[in-house]
Amino acid sequence: MKFLNWNKTIGWLMMLLVSSCVEPYSPEVLEGPNSYLVVNGFINTNGPTTVQLLRTQNLKEETLPPAETNAIVQVESENGEHYRLYEAGNGNYTIDNLNINPASKYRLFIRTRDGKEYASEYVEVKHTPAIDEVTWEPVDNEVQLYVSTHDPNNKTRYYRWEFEHTWHYRAAWGTTLKYVNGRIELRDRNDPDIYNCWASEYSTTIELGNSIRLSQDVISKYKLLAIPYNSEKIGVKYSILVKQYALTREAYAYWETLKKNTENIGTLFDPLPSQLTGNIKSLTDPNEPVIGYVTASTMQQKRIFIDSKDLPRDWRTFIPRCTIDTMLLANSTPREYFEGGYVMPVYEVYPPNGGMSPIGYSYATVGCVDCRTRGTNVKPAFWE
Amino acid sequence: MAQFYRNLFLLIVFFSGVIVTGFAQQVNDPLVTGNYTNTTFRTFVEDLEAQTRFIFYFDPVVTDSITVDIQVTAQPLSKVLTQALLGTNLRFAISEEQQVFITSEKQVLTSLPDNFFNNGSKSKEVDNTQLADFYLPQQKKQKKAVSEIKLYEIGNAGGQSKANLAGTIRDANTGEPIIGAYVYIESPTIGTASDQYGYYSLTLPVGRHELKIRGIGLKNAKRQVLLNGDGKLDIDMEEDVRSLKEVLVEAEKDKNVSGLQMGMERLDIRTIKQVPTAFGETDILRVVQTLPGVKSVGEGSTGMNVRGGSTDQNLILLNDATIYNPSHLFGFFSAFNPDVLKSVELYKSAVPARYGGRLSSVLEVTTREGNKKQFSGAGGIGLLTSRLTLEGPIIKDKTSFLLGGRTTYSDWILKQLPNKSFKNSEASFYDINAHISHEIDSKNSVFFTGYISKDRFKLDADTLYRFKNQNASLKWKHNFHNKLYSVVTGTHSHYSYDISNEGNAVNAATLAFGIDQSNLQVDFNYFPNEKHTVDFGASSIFYQSSPGSLTPHSQESLISEDIIQKEKAVESAIYISDRYDISPRLSVSVGLRYSMFTALGPRDVYTYAPGIPKTESSMTDTVSYSSGEPIATYHGPEFRLSAKYNLTDNSSVKLSYNRLRQYMHMLSNTASMSPTDTWKLSDSNIKPQVGDQVAIGYYRNFRANTIEFSAETYYKWMQDFLDYRSGASIIMNHHIETDVANAEGKAYGVELMVKKATGKMNGWVSYTYSRTLARVNDPNTSEVINRGEYYPSNYDKPHDFTLISNYRFSQRFSTSLNFTYSTGRPITLPIAKYYDGSAQRVLYSDRNQYRVPDYYRVDFAMNIEGNHKVNKLAHSSWTVAVYNLTGRKNPYSIYFKSDKNKIRGYKMSVFGQPIPTVTYNFKF
Repeated sequence: MKFLNWNKTIGWLMMLLVSSCVEPYSPEVLEGPNSYLVVNGFINTNGPTTVQLLRTQNLKEETLPPAETNAIVQVESENGEHYRLYEAGNGNYTIDNLNINPASKYRLFIRTRDGKEYASEYVEVKHTPAIDEVTWEPVDNEVQLYVSTHDPNNKTRYYRWEFEHTWHYRAAWGTTLKYVNGRIELRDRNDPDIYNCWASEYSTTIELGNSIRLSQDVISKYKLLAIPYNSEKIGVKYSILVKQYALTREAYAYWETLKKNTENIGTLFDPLPSQLTGNIKSLTDPNEPVIGYVTASTMQQKRIFIDSKDLPRDWRTFIPRCTIDTMLLANSTPREYFEGGYVMPVYEVYPPNGGMSPIGYSYATVGCVDCRTRGTNVKPAFWE
Repeated sequence: MAQFYRNLFLLIVFFSGVIVTGFAQQVNDPLVTGNYTNTTFRTFVEDLEAQTRFIFYFDPVVTDSITVDIQVTAQPLSKVLTQALLGTNLRFAISEEQQVFITSEKQVLTSLPDNFFNNGSKSKEVDNTQLADFYLPQQKKQKKAVSEIKLYEIGNAGGQSKANLAGTIRDANTGEPIIGAYVYIESPTIGTASDQYGYYSLTLPVGRHELKIRGIGLKNAKRQVLLNGDGKLDIDMEEDVRSLKEVLVEAEKDKNVSGLQMGMERLDIRTIKQVPTAFGETDILRVVQTLPGVKSVGEGSTGMNVRGGSTDQNLILLNDATIYNPSHLFGFFSAFNPDVLKSVELYKSAVPARYGGRLSSVLEVTTREGNKKQFSGAGGIGLLTSRLTLEGPIIKDKTSFLLGGRTTYSDWILKQLPNKSFKNSEASFYDINAHISHEIDSKNSVFFTGYISKDRFKLDADTLYRFKNQNASLKWKHNFHNKLYSVVTGTHSHYSYDISNEGNAVNAATLAFGIDQSNLQVDFNYFPNEKHTVDFGASSIFYQSSPGSLTPHSQESLISEDIIQKEKAVESAIYISDRYDISPRLSVSVGLRYSMFTALGPRDVYTYAPGIPKTESSMTDTVSYSSGEPIATYHGPEFRLSAKYNLTDNSSVKLSYNRLRQYMHMLSNTASMSPTDTWKLSDSNIKPQVGDQVAIGYYRNFRANTIEFSAETYYKWMQDFLDYRSGASIIMNHHIETDVANAEGKAYGVELMVKKATGKMNGWVSYTYSRTLARVNDPNTSEVINRGEYYPSNYDKPHDFTLISNYRFSQRFSTSLNFTYSTGRPITLPIAKYYDGSAQRVLYSDRNQYRVPDYYRVDFAMNIEGNHKVNKLAHSSWTVAVYNLTGRKNPYSIYFKSDKNKIRGYKMSVFGQPIPTVTYNFKF
């Protein structure tokens, strides 16, 4: 045996020791339908209440989560008052204003299309104090955003935040041209703006804070998120709307466990995740899992803007970069290039001797030219 | 050469002995006169007796056919006898006491060599040998197989009807004590086994007995004893060279049935060495895992679950010092060097009262003492590790040393790998055992053991793991008299690890954990009479632990220093137990241990609002305790009862109940023993665990005790062991009580085992059905798990089947084939995904609702021995083994990763291929 081969054999043994072998694993239960009811939303006591009913999906499915339609959804109080929510499509059920008595306890009652009944526990109504401020700071090549609040009555203690951020961005190439029926034409004022767009995202992490170890109910600069200096989000102008909810201790525990359970899963030495029981139960079949935790509170929100001009001067903020190429009319026709819609003309190319008619067009992919591929060109109503 | 000198020396001694005897004969040689014609031997002797007043001893049966035809006048007696016995096979001997012994074939030695009974004398061995050579000339080469026909007269007659016989059983070659050798007489059946010092004590009726002694891997021996009163008899036994690799459990041939102990397994190192392992490295823990009732945590892991207990509920002792981390390299190798070990004992139920502090089992690992006669060594060269052991006398027959070392060269191999990330990896470990035993005099012996093991594992030049075990124990054994001895033991155990992250200066930091325990213990063994054996004693352990610290490496590091407060505690216990043999059929053992634990300051302890779960939000206050101030005290009795009733000569029923208390807890909510496990001492927020077990068993031996059958069933209750709340965080948690839940558990099972200990084909087959369930159902202390119902614990594997079989084709070639099957362990699966309004999330099943695929594995090994000449320079053997012959990819870990919005499951198998190994072992 050659020495080299021998080496490989030992190497193979060591690989077993340190790297071992990993293969996909998919037990039968994961293939099953597993369609359990998911209840999202909360009982809003100072605004419209929206509850979304969805179904769980098999882990492998790639379709949108199925909505539960034609259900009866009611907010009920311990005293027997009840308010029916109206179906608003997509599994959403909504009611504008509830006449909530903060001293009473409320629950959510659901009867699905197939006649199964579900109800949450009766939950107390929490008053959410106003957000004091949403602030930001450039720290180590990123923008960190914080939320601060306090409850002068020291009664809230547990908080959850959600946010929706929106940012103004521009396409890599502004164009004066458009392709219409085999011809390149100049854009006019009736053509939509495809250079300036806005995109929005909702928070995907669970943000929780508490003041239990403080003598006063104060949350000072809870870090909500950080945006890297070269992110497109802060390339032009950025806005964040922070929503604040007061929680009960139990609800806080639920969200905290959910966060631990689902935000970091599975490496070799990770803790075992485990099931999470919300406060909604099936009245028809007590063993049927129902996902969700219903709370009742007011909601507070606050919006701020960050203009890229206010960021540190030495930051090279986001500049879209796209390659651009040229097509020559001598070799091809605009139809051949632009009919498919994958690329768009950016500007005309004139002959080097200064001729008057273009001999070709520079072009780039749609994503580089039309910002609507990733957002909307409709300026949000709140935009300053 | 040494052999030659010894023979020469023996020869000289032999001749000098003859000369001395001859001289004695001249002094006692009266003259006789007589005329005998066709005289019967009896008449001839009577006449001589009348003339000389000497007394003649002879066997009439062998002499009655003899007639004497001689005429003598004033001839010396010896000459007359020589003449008279000419042509017969009779020999005579004349003693100083004026006695004449007529024997056939061999002459009687009329006086014992000098110092024959003086144990302390160096010349004893030589004299014994002289005797042996004299009587057994054809077996001269068998060095010390002495005294089988010699009659040992013990004690002074004092009119009592019973007397005590005690002594130490040793290996004739090495002088090391033999554990578990069975010493017994057959009618009436009275027997005992030697203890860990080789010491035995037996109370027998006075009179003559044939004492039989059997030990694993030793030639059966016997001693003729005339017992007049209490006395001492040390016994040297010879190794059975042929059985080098054979499992010979004859020592305890009928121990299965007649022994009182149940739920106990003893494995001899010879047995252990036969079982093939992944890297050709003999691994005691992996062999222990093949025993019924013991389950492995996972492939490549030495963590074990005994009868439904968690991995931290096993007390692992190396010569009485606690070992916290019994493995190397995350469990791929056991921390015990096989060459220095003597035996392993595992108690699964009926734990003796002298042990305490862990709920499920006691694993007692005993090292050898080292050869007291001559210098020798042993070693092995394998693909990944090598080991060497040296031993020998410091003062012959009194003091011996044993030094064993083991190391790996996997570092070198990693460097050879083409993959860059392996090139930057390091994996190394070593361990060193040192043992010194010294016999001060016949009543006092001291033993010192030192052990150190270190591990270093670095993955991709980034994270460095280091583990360290350090242990020392010092024992002093003192014999007050035959019936009472004491052992004073002092031990110190240290375990620590640190994990350094060095990749990036910004988050470079070291996470460290350490625990120290110092233990002082006094044990007494008292044998008041043949019906009772009393053990009593006291122990005290002082714990000091550093539950965790995170230290940044430099100023640049963003990690801030974080140190969890040190913990201190004292655990003390007193115990007494009595084994009472009511009749030959019925024996009981009753024991009581009372243990007490106090957590001590200095420390700041959080207090929590009563009646609601301990969470960060229910913290009410912090109480500071000054140094040495008790924080919390727990104490309670631990009962140990067992009974045995022999149904017939070869079947018995045994019953046991025991309670154990455990004051420390391992924190790890991963299923395997992971590198970040820490130990937590009980305090005002963490209660001690309490476990009760009842077990009943039926034992039967077949075919003259060659086949043993045992069936044991048990039921166990456990309170206040720790399970984890969902998503608990364990590392660097300053208030671990907020992340754990006090679980109650129950475990039950049936263990069946058939064992054939001898013969060409030997081994065992065991099947276990067992369940272990946990419940967290007190909403006042933590969240309720699985709606407060019982759920399978992480190591619940109902079906378990093991076959260990060895077949010996010849003295030099044997094979071993093993098969293991067990139900897959429980797992919590992500069963669905859902959108919660902002993100995709995963829904997990109830805790441990599903199971990973079943586990099975086939291993095969061949042992090829060199020849068995006793006096070779070195004995060597080759072991060729294939681990996981079928290449089954047994799951080691199953995990789920979110990958482009899809959640995928992965199964990691550690030894998913057949792993061949070759090991060369030598012994000199």
